[in-house]
Amino acid sequence: MKLKDLRGSISEFWNEFRKVKSGLVGLGIFAFFLLLLIFEPVLAPFSETNTRWRDISYWDDNPQSAYPIWVNFFSAKKYAKSSVLKDPQVSEEAFGTNRMMTYTFEYDYQYDIAPSDLILKIQGTGAAMMDLTFTRPDGETVYLTSSNLKMVEGGVSRISVDKGSKSEAYDFLGGFESRDNMRKFQRSSIKPAAILFAKAQENMLIDPEPLKGKYTIQAAILLQRPEDTISNVELVVPGRVFGLLGTDAFKRDLFSGVLAGIKWALLIGLLTAIVSVMVGVIYGVISAYLGGWKDSAMQRVFEVFNSIPLLPVLIVMSAVFKPSIWNLILIMCIFYWTGSVKTVRSMGLQIKEETFIEATRALGASNFRIIFKHIIPLIIPYSFASMALFIPGAIVYEASISLLGLGDATIVTWGQILRDAYTGGAVINGIWWWVIPPGLMIAIMGMSFAFIGFALDKILHPKLRTR
Amino acid sequence: MYWKYVIKRVINGIVIYIILIFIFSALFNMQMEQTVRAQIDEVVKGEVMAQSTSGKWTPEQLMNWSKERKVYYTELYNLNKPVFERIVTRAVDTILFRYGKSTIIKSAFGERDVVKIIFETVPRTLLLFGTAAIIDVILGILIGIKKAQKPGKGFDKGTSIATMIVFGMPSWWLGMLMIMFFVYIIKVFPSGGMHSTPPPAGFMYHLDTLWHLTLPVLTLVIIGFWGRAFLIRNIVLSVLQDDYIMSARARGIPERKVLFGHALRTAAPPIVTMALLSLLVSVSGGILFESIFSWPGMGNLYWISVEQSDIPVLMGDLSFSTGLYICGLVILDLIYGFLDPRIKVGGKA
Amino acid sequence: MAAEKTTQNKRVLEVKNLKLHYLTSQGAVKAVDDISFCLNKGETLGIVGESGCGKTTTAVALMMMPSPPGKIVGGQILIEGKDIVPLTETQIRKQIRWEKISMVFQGAMNCLTPVYTIGKQMMETLREHREMSKEEAIARIEKYLAYVGLSKEVLKRYPHELSGGMKQRIVIAMALFLEPKIVLCDEPTTALDVVVQAQIINLLKDLKQQLDLSFIFITHDLATEAEVSDRLMVMYGGKIAEIGTNEQLYGKQGPMHPYTQRLLKATPLLHEKVEELAFIPGRPPDLLKPPAGCKFHDRCNVVMDRCKVDEPDLQEVEPDHFVACWRCRES
Repeated sequence: MKLKDLRGSISEFWNEFRKVKSGLVGLGIFAFFLLLLIFEPVLAPFSETNTRWRDISYWDDNPQSAYPIWVNFFSAKKYAKSSVLKDPQVSEEAFGTNRMMTYTFEYDYQYDIAPSDLILKIQGTGAAMMDLTFTRPDGETVYLTSSNLKMVEGGVSRISVDKGSKSEAYDFLGGFESRDNMRKFQRSSIKPAAILFAKAQENMLIDPEPLKGKYTIQAAILLQRPEDTISNVELVVPGRVFGLLGTDAFKRDLFSGVLAGIKWALLIGLLTAIVSVMVGVIYGVISAYLGGWKDSAMQRVFEVFNSIPLLPVLIVMSAVFKPSIWNLILIMCIFYWTGSVKTVRSMGLQIKEETFIEATRALGASNFRIIFKHIIPLIIPYSFASMALFIPGAIVYEASISLLGLGDATIVTWGQILRDAYTGGAVINGIWWWVIPPGLMIAIMGMSFAFIGFALDKILHPKLRTR
Repeated sequence: MYWKYVIKRVINGIVIYIILIFIFSALFNMQMEQTVRAQIDEVVKGEVMAQSTSGKWTPEQLMNWSKERKVYYTELYNLNKPVFERIVTRAVDTILFRYGKSTIIKSAFGERDVVKIIFETVPRTLLLFGTAAIIDVILGILIGIKKAQKPGKGFDKGTSIATMIVFGMPSWWLGMLMIMFFVYIIKVFPSGGMHSTPPPAGFMYHLDTLWHLTLPVLTLVIIGFWGRAFLIRNIVLSVLQDDYIMSARARGIPERKVLFGHALRTAAPPIVTMALLSLLVSVSGGILFESIFSWPGMGNLYWISVEQSDIPVLMGDLSFSTGLYICGLVILDLIYGFLDPRIKVGGKA
Repeated sequence: MAAEKTTQNKRVLEVKNLKLHYLTSQGAVKAVDDISFCLNKGETLGIVGESGCGKTTTAVALMMMPSPPGKIVGGQILIEGKDIVPLTETQIRKQIRWEKISMVFQGAMNCLTPVYTIGKQMMETLREHREMSKEEAIARIEKYLAYVGLSKEVLKRYPHELSGGMKQRIVIAMALFLEPKIVLCDEPTTALDVVVQAQIINLLKDLKQQLDLSFIFITHDLATEAEVSDRLMVMYGGKIAEIGTNEQLYGKQGPMHPYTQRLLKATPLLHEKVEELAFIPGRPPDLLKPPAGCKFHDRCNVVMDRCKVDEPDLQEVEPDHFVACWRCRES
């Protein structure tokens, strides 16, 4: 019987809700967020984003501050994509006990803007010497580096051209570039990758023209002891565009970060809103129902809480106590519940006077039973609108706390990404793909709940309805 | 009658303020005392250094003296008293605006008195948010009434959707975007602060301030006025459905007078309340906004004191903004009683 | 159609084929559908009917202020022979409303703007229409306040400081002080208690005699109606069911339309012995999808086949007595 009533009223409610288009849009966006949340493990390009967001080594192979990949659609000049070359041609020569392993990578360069780096990753054991040579489509060959490798089981040796071959690239440049231009740059300040992929001519440093075609990168590794081995060699080419949302100045994939932020935003928003609105509803109803001096006393307490400026208090509490995300939610609930008390109390006062409450009391029901079984269920539907409208506020508060650097450092939230962007100079340097997506996510999530909340409000307060 | 109500409401506000300050003192007692202890250590170290360079005392004497001084200061700052008494003393000090000395931050004149540091910032915050609020409310009223005149039509729906789009948008984020675009891409506005360095003299000084004020105010207005318009629309719409509006129209009163006279005058108390309340909320919620624009107000002071972990300034700023917030709430109630003849003043709790 | 046998110059209001429809997304709601009637000088016309039959909408149409999505889609409203339907909003506001036709609204409690004093509201209305000095205006206002039995003390008061009866008197004074030709009273007494109701009715009757006004009196309270009106117009489903003089409808012969018959039976009249108190089964018609034929046919106890197909028009059955009913036409 009761269940049937409930089902009936829910379907009736849904029929009303369906008519408000903006509410449906809000619900649609919310559902989309839920889908993203569920499929986060599949969608996220970096599976350990949640645990290793602040671990710089995890992101080392990515380009720094790379544009989102779709920028190429809109740009006349195509930026080099990021790629990993995994299958080199291997040849082996033996000179007595010495073995010479040669790994040859072919890289087909068809972009206008050169990649940011070339990184050779070698796995193996023991010690070795390595020469890295770079052969261009125009026949020029550049010796990039010679280095001694000390390899341990399970470890990876990384050789970065950007870091280790500046001098060699500068020397290569010397053969073509004019003296005047050369003087403008220091040996240590040039970008080797930009030179290596440019046409060998004057001005190649200042205004490089891309030299498209097949490049050959050859790593010759000399192993001197028989027990030394090379198990795997890879060439990572960090491009200038990366992933759906690019990378930040710490080489992190922003798409993974933004995706990881969804669950926290939803958790913070939903939990804070539901708990604080429920507390407000219960408080308001009890205050209205008890009446008399108890009501006055509860109203005084409410007034005190209502007079607290929320964000300043949150900031100071976070600064002093450095709370985890759970404690932050708790603190927000403690100060956030007052929003719905006033309306709930006046509704409670009305319902209290209804005959059926009188009747129930006459039948000997306890106050507890009347409040929780008869009054609160009547008010709950009305509180859904405030819940939906509380959510964006809670999300923004967390983001604000994070922006100050007081957030929970063990998780990834949109506010923290924005904090890094702000302190990392994204605004000054125009790294818009670092600033816009996380904030936009906050705004869109806020918007979806605003849509839902206003739609509920419209249904529940018909006076404001438009024909 | 009205004065009685005013006095009652003001006393109520003061009592709440005092209660809150007590709560804050209790909550943050440890932190405050840590900084005081650190300050004492520093002062004593300085004194000992001064004595040791004179070379008169043996190390042992110096040690004893340093201990003595420490005890002296501990007593001076009541740190030897029971916890409860310390909390009460601190609360009373705070209520009397004795916020103490900052650890790092200094005022424009190099003072380390927290009260002076805060007082310096208050007018700047009021200038920024006040200007934005005035523009907001004017735009909000104009658009809100336009919306209410034809509810459910294209204009109303469009602006309502805009309201919801900016509903959950942090103002500081929009600030970042605005700076990125207007400062670094098309380079029309200064990146932040209140004045150019060095500030120009005379009349140009004010123009310069205005120029620095434009972008943050623009951002606040873009984010704020939709909401204001939406609230005003709802209030005006419910007033417009009342019988006396139809009655006034039937009496041949021109529509302009009906809207801006009868309807708006009736809607004024809730509109003023809502506008002021949302101003209060946006000031307290937008405190990070100032930092994005390096606007040297109270909000920026929060940011700096958190970054520098200057606890006395942080606490002083909190107490003061709480005071301002409560002041705002009290003024709100008083204005409501003043604007609406229906409120039997004194009868309202 | 409603060509009554009265001379043209006695007529202050003539309504011809007036239609007011609410144009909703589901279709047109015909709240007032093709009605014609007239009002003579010094006469009181009562309009009665169930709620939702179009009484108030008719009044709203006469004031030319349909609230959206309502729209006057056809017909003429002639005041002293001049059609006001084609006039612009400004012309109506300046020349018609309160000048020619004023209205006492349903629920006088809420008809005064709560944040203005009575004086300000009366002044504003008066000076909107008449160029007169403040003193002249005050003199005029005081004169009319005296008519309704109030002193000038009330001018400084706010509406919430006055009783319901006082507010109603003020509203009436305001409706009269521009000396309009026609006064519409839309249930002027519903929200008042019985004693005050009687006072207001008596006041209206007195004023009518003193000032030689023409009234349209809308109510669902037939007892009041019988007392104040000269003629009665019965509406059903946005149409006129029957118009006749009081003598014709309350007299020996009684009403002709089955709806009127049962409506009068459903209302106990004080000076008559109650035989049976009937109620009319069924519900007022859905004006969005009205039934075919006579709109009353599904509730009528003397329904004929023709009633379900054809809609009857208003026909004169005796001088000044019009009925829209097939059954009446047969007999």
